[in-house]
This record gives sequence, structure tokens and C-alpha cells, in this order.
Amino acid sequence: MSENQASAGPAIVVERLVKRYGDVEAVAGLSFSVPRGAIFGLLGRNGAGKTTTLECCIGLSKPTSGSVRILGLDPTSARDFAALRPRIGVQLQSTSLPEKAAVGEVLELYAAYYGITPRAAEMASRVGLEGKLDRQIVQMSGGEQQRLALALALQHDPEVVFLDEPTAGMDAFGRRILWAEVEALRAAGKTIILTTHYIEEAERLCDTLCVVQRGRIIAEDTPENLVTRYGGDATVCITADGFSPDDALRGLGTWAKAKDEWQLVTHGEPGLALAAVVTHANAISATVRSLDMHRPTLEDAFIAVTGETIGEGE
Amino acid sequence: MNVLRMFAVQTRMNFLWYFRRDGEMMFWTLAMPVFFLVLFSFAFSQGPSGRSATFLVPGIIGAQVLSSGFWGVGVMLATFREKHLLRRVYLTPMPRWIFFASLVAYRVTLLAVQAIILVTVGSLLFHVRITGNPVAVLIVLLLGTATFVSLGTIIGALAKTTESANNIASILTVPLAFISDAYIPIDRFPHAVSSALRLLPSTQFIDMFRGVSVDGASLASYGVWFAVLVAWTIFGTVVSARTFRWV
Repeated sequence: MSENQASAGPAIVVERLVKRYGDVEAVAGLSFSVPRGAIFGLLGRNGAGKTTTLECCIGLSKPTSGSVRILGLDPTSARDFAALRPRIGVQLQSTSLPEKAAVGEVLELYAAYYGITPRAAEMASRVGLEGKLDRQIVQMSGGEQQRLALALALQHDPEVVFLDEPTAGMDAFGRRILWAEVEALRAAGKTIILTTHYIEEAERLCDTLCVVQRGRIIAEDTPENLVTRYGGDATVCITADGFSPDDALRGLGTWAKAKDEWQLVTHGEPGLALAAVVTHANAISATVRSLDMHRPTLEDAFIAVTGETIGEGE
Repeated sequence: MNVLRMFAVQTRMNFLWYFRRDGEMMFWTLAMPVFFLVLFSFAFSQGPSGRSATFLVPGIIGAQVLSSGFWGVGVMLATFREKHLLRRVYLTPMPRWIFFASLVAYRVTLLAVQAIILVTVGSLLFHVRITGNPVAVLIVLLLGTATFVSLGTIIGALAKTTESANNIASILTVPLAFISDAYIPIDRFPHAVSSALRLLPSTQFIDMFRGVSVDGASLASYGVWFAVLVAWTIFGTVVSARTFRWV
């Protein structure tokens, strides 16, 4: 595509999206925008409305109200949807393919759908299925099927890639492959939107993260900023015979003592505080029984904004 | 060009995938019509009779066309939707009609193989002779397949689950085979009943197929019924296109 098109506005714009199923409001007025070339994540528990949002973006679900534009096109309009389909790649949460289809055949068929030269062997090896072109869907593990689904999403070199819980059911090998592919897409300047309930994956892959709860976005920022804004303070805990903080240590933050353990809550750099605490303990010859430092994580931030752990969902 | 390649690859995959899946059932798919032919030929006459077999061969093929449309396509589409196969295909740029056209191509080929086997058995055992123009026979077979695939697609569109599609298909297919001049000549019913039954597209198709294949009638002499079946096909296609759900 031309430079012109590439720079024309955000890749994805979702405005006040609402999706109701009967009395249930799966998505309750959700807005976000994804610039071209960005990797955007929707993080939340199962049932938070992430998949429904994604389905509205790719024309699988019709919004009750609100609007969606992908590359400026409206997926609810038949004409726009036809123009959009060749330009997007999709890995659904559960991609189901005919069970007697072989890996190479599926890749060949999808190449025909997109009018491109089949690259079955290359795509198979990119997703760790090298030498398995004759393997039938029914003989493959869930993780292998997900990796094939990833290959189908990427074979036609789409501009915008939608990944719905891409590593659900994948082992560590599959996860590494997906992460490497996302990095390659980032380098190629593609736009990616993904949903996940894996904190580590969200933090590692996404430029911008939306925390989704009960169909709403309750926080949106870079992973680092989410931690800084919502993760809370760092703590240093020490149990040492005869230990008590001196004035210099008291200046680092708030100290509290529970049983034998002293806890320092600091908004400064916890590594430096830790060093100062250990130096002081040595200076007063206090024997250190236990020592622990905790830096706020994305998970802390998630718990702080949602009031719940991410868990495995309902 | 791209569209032709899409159609060619999709049709080849239909054969590979469905044939592998149907592998164990294939024997029965091909053997059942032969079994019906032999059974009914003996049941309806005192002994092996060329006349009843000549009636039955096109009738059984016609009944296979019905079940191919209602079961083979209608129920299969409902299953595909339930298993989320359709939604994945829906997201690709493939024009929708290619998906259905290649289903028709797969079904009509299977039906042609069934027809050849049935005609061969019929001619060897009962001296059935296909006197019609083979091109006309094939045209009628194609039209009938298109009609009942398009009507079957409505089942696939409206049924919410595989189970309900199954129920609708069995309610339609089995009785229709018996009242559409396929196994039993409807002349044996009272005149008012048989006249009413001739309004069914299944009766019209089976009578036209029989006329063109074994009675040596010309396609032109069935012009009106041909047009009516084309109208049914258009009806089925329009209703399917309006009601079909990929998700």
C-alpha cells in the first residue's frame, strides 16, 4: 500500500461501542483508538467483553450502538467489509477447520482466497509446523491448531492483525513463536490489536494497554505508566536481630513494624533503599534473618484498578 | 482469474476433505441406492421386472438429489456454523457464491457417480436402458441439484443447531421421497391427490428427470417444469442469501 494510505488516520477507531445480548450488556460504551503501527492490548478477565469488542471490529458481531472504523472502513457495511477483508488478518480464540484437512492444504486454500502465491512450507516453518504439511487437523494438538490459525492470519501479509487470546492453550514453545511473530510484525510496521488475560504477555507485547472490566475500559496507558500510576509503592521488608531504622532510613519512606519484621513503603527507587537498609543493618551488627524487596508490577496495577485478581476468569 | 482459482482449489479441497471424512460412509452412500433398487424392484412386481426398475432408477437418483440438498448441504452448513467453521471462511475475501458453487460441484459429482452405478446395476440386472440425451440428463441433474441445494441452504440458514437441522431434513426428505413419484408411482393415488402432489418441486424434478432419462422425452417438452424449477432455485437462493448466517 502507498505511504499516503499508511499515514491516513488511525488504524482502528472504536467509539461508544455497546453490545447487548438480551439483558446482558457485554460491551458497555467502550471507546479507543489505535494508531497505525501500534500494538494495542485489551487486558481483562474472561467475560470482560474483550472478545465481543474484537468481534465487532472484524464484522462478526453487529454493535447494538456506537461505531467502529478499521482503516477508515465500517465493518457493518457490506461494501466496506468487502474492501476490508483482504487487508486484515484474524486469529480467533477457537479457530475450527475441517478435521480432515491437512496443514498444507489449508494454507494453499487460504492463499487462493487471498489471490496470493501459496507459501505453505515457509508459513508452516514460521509457526513451528515444519515437516507437518501432511498433518491433519484432527491429529493436531490445540496449540498446534492455534499456531496454524496464526499462519492463516499472517500468510497474506495483512495491514491490521487481530489476535483473540492468541496464546490460550499454547505451550511455552507456541508462546515464544507468537511473541516472535508479533515482534516481526512490529518491525514491519503492522498494526496489532490483541486480547489477553495473561499479564506477562500484555506487558511484553503491547505499546498501549486497556484494562477492560464489565464491558468498560477502566484504565488505558503504556504498561510502564499503568504500573507507575496504579501499581502503588515499592516495599522493602527486613527481619534482623536488634534492627531499627535510623533517621536517614526514616527519610526514605514510611516504616511500620509487624512482629519482628520491619516494612518500609517507599516511592523512591527500592534498590537504593534496599542497599541503605542492608548497610545500616551491617553497621549496627544486626544479624539479618530475612530480607525482601517488592517492586510494583502490572499485576499490582491490575488489582488496584479492577479490585480483583486476573485469575483464570469465571 | 483469481475467482476461477478460488473455485478450483475450494472444490478440490471439498473432495479431499469431505471424501476423507465420508470415507467409511461412502460405501453405504453408494450401496444404499442399489439396495433400494433391488428391494423395490422385487417388492413392486411379481419377479424381476424391467418396467418397475426403469421407473425406479431415475426415481431413486431423484430421491438422492433431495437428500443431498437437505442432508448433505443443509445439515452440513448448520454443523459448520455450530463448529465455527463458517465464521473463519466469512472473514476471508472469497466471494460468498464460490463457497456454495463448489458445494454444488461436490454434490453433483457424487450424485453422478451414484447415478452411473445405479444405471449400470439396473441395466445388468433389469435391462434398464437410458435412452435420453446424456447432455439433457446432466442438465436436469444439475438443475435439480441446484434447486435442492438452494432449498437445503434455507434449512442451514434457519436451523439454530445441527440437531434442529437434522430434524427438519428428516421430516422433509423421507416423506417427500414417497409422495414425489420417486419410489411409488403417484398415479396409484386418487386423482386429486396426485394432481396436488405434482405441484411439489420434488415431483416435478423427478418426473422431468425420468422423462428425459428413460422415457426419451426432449428437454423442450418439459419447458414449463424446467422454468418452474429455475424459479424455485431463484427463490431458494434469494431466501438463503437473505437469511444465511455465517456466525
